[in-house]
Amino acid sequence: MIRVDQVTRRFGTLEAVRGVSFEIGAGEVVGFLGPNGAGKSTLLKMLSTFLLPSTGSIEVAGYDTRRDSIEVRRRIGYLPEHNALFDNMRVRAFLRFMGAARGLEDQAIEQRIEELCERVQLETVLGKRLVECSKGYRQRIGLAAALIHDPPVLLLDEPTHGLDPLQVVAFRKFLAELREGRAILFSSHILAEVAQIATRLLVIQDGQICLDAPLAELNARAGESGQTLEQLVIQAVSTGGAGASQ
Amino acid sequence: MRGLWVVFAREIGDAFDSAVAFVYLIGALVLSCGLFMNEFFLTARLDMAPFFRALAPIAGLLLSALTMRSWAEDLKTRTIEIWMTLPLCIWQVVLGKFLAALSLWAVFLVGTTPIVIMLSSLGSPDLGLIASSYAGAFLLGGLFISVGLFASALSQDQVVAFVISLTLCTLLYASGHAKLVAILDGQMDGLGRGLQAHASALFHYQNFTAGLVSLASTIWFVGLTAVFLGLNGHLVSRLRA
Repeated sequence: MIRVDQVTRRFGTLEAVRGVSFEIGAGEVVGFLGPNGAGKSTLLKMLSTFLLPSTGSIEVAGYDTRRDSIEVRRRIGYLPEHNALFDNMRVRAFLRFMGAARGLEDQAIEQRIEELCERVQLETVLGKRLVECSKGYRQRIGLAAALIHDPPVLLLDEPTHGLDPLQVVAFRKFLAELREGRAILFSSHILAEVAQIATRLLVIQDGQICLDAPLAELNARAGESGQTLEQLVIQAVSTGGAGASQ
Repeated sequence: MRGLWVVFAREIGDAFDSAVAFVYLIGALVLSCGLFMNEFFLTARLDMAPFFRALAPIAGLLLSALTMRSWAEDLKTRTIEIWMTLPLCIWQVVLGKFLAALSLWAVFLVGTTPIVIMLSSLGSPDLGLIASSYAGAFLLGGLFISVGLFASALSQDQVVAFVISLTLCTLLYASGHAKLVAILDGQMDGLGRGLQAHASALFHYQNFTAGLVSLASTIWFVGLTAVFLGLNGHLVSRLRA
C-alpha cells in the first residue's frame, strides 16, 4: 500500500528527512513516533503529496506521488498536523465539499456524513460554523473529512491531539475497526498511546528511521531483556537504531 | 469540470456566507452610482461615459480588496494543505477561485443596470455604446481579478497582497493615461505610446468605452488574464517543491 524508497527532503540546507525507506501493507496500523522536529510531519506531508521528496520515491496504492499525485490523493485520507479547516464554513457544508471534491455523488455524500457523524459523534455540531467548534470537535471533523471517501490509505498526523481521554479511547476503538483492508500510518509523541493502537512501530530521529519493528516483537524483546518498551525505544533512539530495525 | 464546479461553489458560498460579497458589492455600487449621479445632475447628459471612466479605478480598488484573502488566507491558516491534497488539478482550483470572483464582478455590473433603465426612460442613450462599455468593464474586471489572485498567492499577509495588487492594477491603468504617455514620449520618442499600446489596460478598455469591440483588445485582455492565472498556478504548485 505504501512504499517509501530512499526518500530525502531538504528545505534549503536543512535535511528534514534523510534516506528513509519502509513499506506498509494493508491491515497494518503503524505508529509513527519521534520528538518534535524529527521529520514525522514532513514525511506525512510527502506521503499526502503536499510536499515532493527532494530525492527518492514514494508509492501509495501503486501510484507515484510525484507523477500520479491526483491518483494518490484519490486513495488517501489525510488529517494534517494543524488540522486547518475552512473556518467560515458550516460543518455539514464542509463535509459535503470534501465529499464532492473527492468525486462522491450527492446521495453517497449524505450517506457517508450520516455514518461518520454517528461514528465520531458530530450530530450536535453539524449546523455550526467550524470556527465555533472546540478543538476536540475540530479534530473529529478533520477525521470525518479524511474518511468521507472511505480511502484505502489513512495518514493521520497527531490524530488524538486535542481529544479528551474518553474521546481518545473511542478513537482507539474506531481506528481498530478501520484497520481491515487499510494501511494506516499515524504519528504521535506518546509511546503509551501508540502501543495501544499500533501493530507496528516506526521511530524517526533527526530525519532517519531508527526503529522499525512489529509491536508484538518489541514487546517480546523487551520481556526477554527485562526492559520496558519505553526503555527499548529510548535505547534504539540513542544508538541510532543499531540492531533494532525490522 | 466537476472539480472546477466544486471549487467555484465553495468560494462563492464562502463569499456570500461570510457577508464579504454583500459588503463589497453594496460599497462598490454606492460609490460608482453615487459618482455617476453627481456627474449626471451636473451635465444632464444621457451618457454613461462618466460612469465607465470612474469604473476603472474603482475596479482596481474593489477587486484588489475582494481577491486579497483568496490565497493569502489559505497560506496563513494552512488550508492550502486541504487544496493541495484533494484530487484536484491546480488549474481547477485557480480557475474555480477566478470564476467565483468574476461572478461577483458580473453581479456588480448587473447591479448598475438601473442606470441604463433610468437613462432609457429619460431619452434615447446609445445602447450599443453602453453594451460595448459593459463588455470592456467585464474584461477589465477579469484582468484585475487575475492580478489580485496572483498577488494573493505571493504573501500570507492580506494587506501586502492588497498593496501589490493595487500597485499592479494602477500600473496597468496609469500606463495608458494621456499625461503619462506624453511625459514618457518626451523622454524617449515612442516610449509612452508603445507602453500604452502594449501594456495599458486603460488603452484597451477605452476602445470598448468608445464603442469599438476590438478583437485585438479582447485578445489582449484574455491573454494577459491567462498569463496572471498561469503565474498564480505556478506559484501555488511551487509550494510542493
